[in-house]
Amino acid sequence: MSAPAAVTGAPRLLRASLHHEARSFAPWIAIVTALSASSVLVYPWVFPTQADREGLATLVGSNPALGLIFGPAFDLSTADGFNAWRALALGGLFTALGAIFVVTRATRGQEDSGQAELLASGVLGRSSRLLTAVAMGLVMSVVVGVVSFLVAWACGGGVESTALLSATFTATGWMGTGIAAVTSQLGAEARASSSLAVATFGTLFILRGFAYSVEAADWAIWINPLAWMTETKPSVDNSWAPLGLAVALTAVTLAVAFVLQSRRDFGQGAIAPAPGPARGRTRSPFALALRLNRGSLIAWAVGFGVLGTVFGYFTTAITDLLSADEGIAQILAAGATTPEDLFGAFLATIISLVGIISSIACVQMVLRVRKEEMEDRVEPLIATPVSRPRYYAAHVGVALLAAPVFLTIAGLVIASFASGADIGVTFGEALGQALVTVPAVWTVVAVSIAVVGARPRLAIAAWAGVVISFALTLLGPTFGLDDWVLGISPYYHVPHLATSAYSWGGLAVVALVGALLCGVGFRGFRHRDLATS
Amino acid sequence: MPDTAQVIETQGLVKRFGRFTALDGLDLSVARGEVHGFLGPNGAGKSTTIRVLLGLLRANGGTARLLGGDPWSDVVELHQRLAYVPGDVALWPSMSGGEAIDLLGSLRGGLDDARRDELVERFELDPTKRGRQYSKGNRQKVAIVAALASNAELLILDEPTSGLDPLMENVFQEVLGEAKERGTTVLLSSHILSEVETLADRLSIIRAGRIVETGTLAQIRGNARTSVHATLTRTPAAADLAALHDVHLDGARLTATVDADGIGPAMSALAPYGLESLTVAPPSLESLFLRLYEDEGDAAGAR
Repeated sequence: MSAPAAVTGAPRLLRASLHHEARSFAPWIAIVTALSASSVLVYPWVFPTQADREGLATLVGSNPALGLIFGPAFDLSTADGFNAWRALALGGLFTALGAIFVVTRATRGQEDSGQAELLASGVLGRSSRLLTAVAMGLVMSVVVGVVSFLVAWACGGGVESTALLSATFTATGWMGTGIAAVTSQLGAEARASSSLAVATFGTLFILRGFAYSVEAADWAIWINPLAWMTETKPSVDNSWAPLGLAVALTAVTLAVAFVLQSRRDFGQGAIAPAPGPARGRTRSPFALALRLNRGSLIAWAVGFGVLGTVFGYFTTAITDLLSADEGIAQILAAGATTPEDLFGAFLATIISLVGIISSIACVQMVLRVRKEEMEDRVEPLIATPVSRPRYYAAHVGVALLAAPVFLTIAGLVIASFASGADIGVTFGEALGQALVTVPAVWTVVAVSIAVVGARPRLAIAAWAGVVISFALTLLGPTFGLDDWVLGISPYYHVPHLATSAYSWGGLAVVALVGALLCGVGFRGFRHRDLATS
Repeated sequence: MPDTAQVIETQGLVKRFGRFTALDGLDLSVARGEVHGFLGPNGAGKSTTIRVLLGLLRANGGTARLLGGDPWSDVVELHQRLAYVPGDVALWPSMSGGEAIDLLGSLRGGLDDARRDELVERFELDPTKRGRQYSKGNRQKVAIVAALASNAELLILDEPTSGLDPLMENVFQEVLGEAKERGTTVLLSSHILSEVETLADRLSIIRAGRIVETGTLAQIRGNARTSVHATLTRTPAAADLAALHDVHLDGARLTATVDADGIGPAMSALAPYGLESLTVAPPSLESLFLRLYEDEGDAAGAR
């Protein structure tokens, strides 16, 4: 067997890497499979009659904010069509995120931790490590596709539409692999590289939802690689051709990545860091926490400005979208609801989305504490007169302050659009809606504060609040869940300021739960051993 | 806080990680103003002891007093009076070395700026490099400068010179000597004996979570044997070598050890066989170390 010298040793490295990393594939495979299979399972049960199905179509049509996340609903009258609407966008996104993290960890992550140095000094071609990382991303995406297909099919999904849907997961994962392979060559470190890839994907994701929701021109759809996946229209058109585009894009990005990689120095990104100051001005734990999160604070703040613009612009189009929907027109005509309530609920939904996304940013900042701890950077600080609660409070404080900042940024932009959109929502109501969402975000973040403080080994559980609130707020209604279940999500209790009736009681309970979780976290952080390497 | 003569005092300290016992009844005492060498091989429990003393870990049993206070509950008060250098320094990747020094210094209540600049100079440290660009030795220097530029009354140094080149190790020894002259108490952990030999007033040797020997260098050496290497003209008779231990004969070349008070008789025993060359080495701590560990190993095996 003779391989080109540049990739010597890659098969062996791949085998070893798959052996050790395969476990990290599991959550992504499980999430995507559960998402797809559950659609097929719950559909006949939750929507047994034709009337139920039309009701679902009306529900989806009446809240265009849902389309921002799920994309367009082409056909909700069959289980397969429902599955395609509910799982395609998110399933692809999760597969791509998994691939991005796998690729980044196997390239820059290893370089940062020094593992790669050991490997690269062995008999290993120059491109072998990247090839291995890429292969892992591709393999993981294929496994997601195959497993989700088999399970959803076994649950009663149609063969072709289920296979096509699962193929879009794989194809999206492949594009994620390609993008991550490129960003791994650009960022100064692993974190910067994966953030760059996730930001790219997040932007494409939001733009896709936006383009479909405002019924943008064809070109605006076809320039977005994620929209190619939507255009396969599983169960409606079953068009396989757009997958070819995804494969081609993957090939191109991978080619670029290998070229960039051959020109890059080990452990360095494309942009070399400039020398730093000889004297420091960071002189307190809070200043340090702010400094460590500075990059991501700025990036997210810009992101929320953009998100606010997309969502805000959307409010100006809502009247047209709603009046075009027959079901809505009937409901309004029958007096079952008022346009004011409909717009109020719509506004609350998009701002809950902003809240959910900002909770992701804030949880990342809390998890930073764990990362600092694992990398032995907390120990020297705690060895100074800084007490543990003070250290933890600095990081937690930055994370908690970030939430109102992000919501205010997005809220201001959305409010300025909404107040001019003639939908009966004032600037104050829209901005106020953003601000009353803050306590719900805090409570979600408080879950991570409790986990990192008291049970840091289960760091993954820090995401529980985000996942649960996301699932209940966005997916819950399509499961036909009872109100008390939906009420587990703090966003359920956020008053809809622009509607005719709302109450504050729920929000007070939410805030209380958040405060309790913070207490648990601080108590835990003070009394446990710090991680030692 | 009471000003006691013992800066560090632990009794029967126990620390378990799950089923593994890292500290198994550790008794350590360090007097004010002394440089105390804390010696032991990798995994003996040095870093665990230090982390308990710093209040990073909570002991499962025994007592520990540090500067007259409790290391777990009086964290803030105690840490105002000490400085710490970890064995494996991790810096913030995007922060320059200078910034890291100033951060650690200001958290401790301020640095002596003149001494900070002098130390940066003496250690030939470039403070403008980013954390991720430093080599291991240079990361170590950052932590050393931050600790030694403070006016802490206690320095806790956990294998501080790992990764330093020999020239920088000399600088470190000088700087530590100066700190000692200022009256600073130092707990200096190491697995390299020559590093503590020159500076340490007293030593404690740790093995498997217990202190197995403690005392001044002379006291510890007193128990150890001097090694003798000699080339003789004739092969000696075994009966004449009773004053020597561990005798190994390779033709006319002899290696052996003798008790501290047995050098004279040994020389008298060897002289008749015609000494061509002779090296008599004082007991190195290495040999002492080896002997202690062999004994302990035997004892452990016999249990």
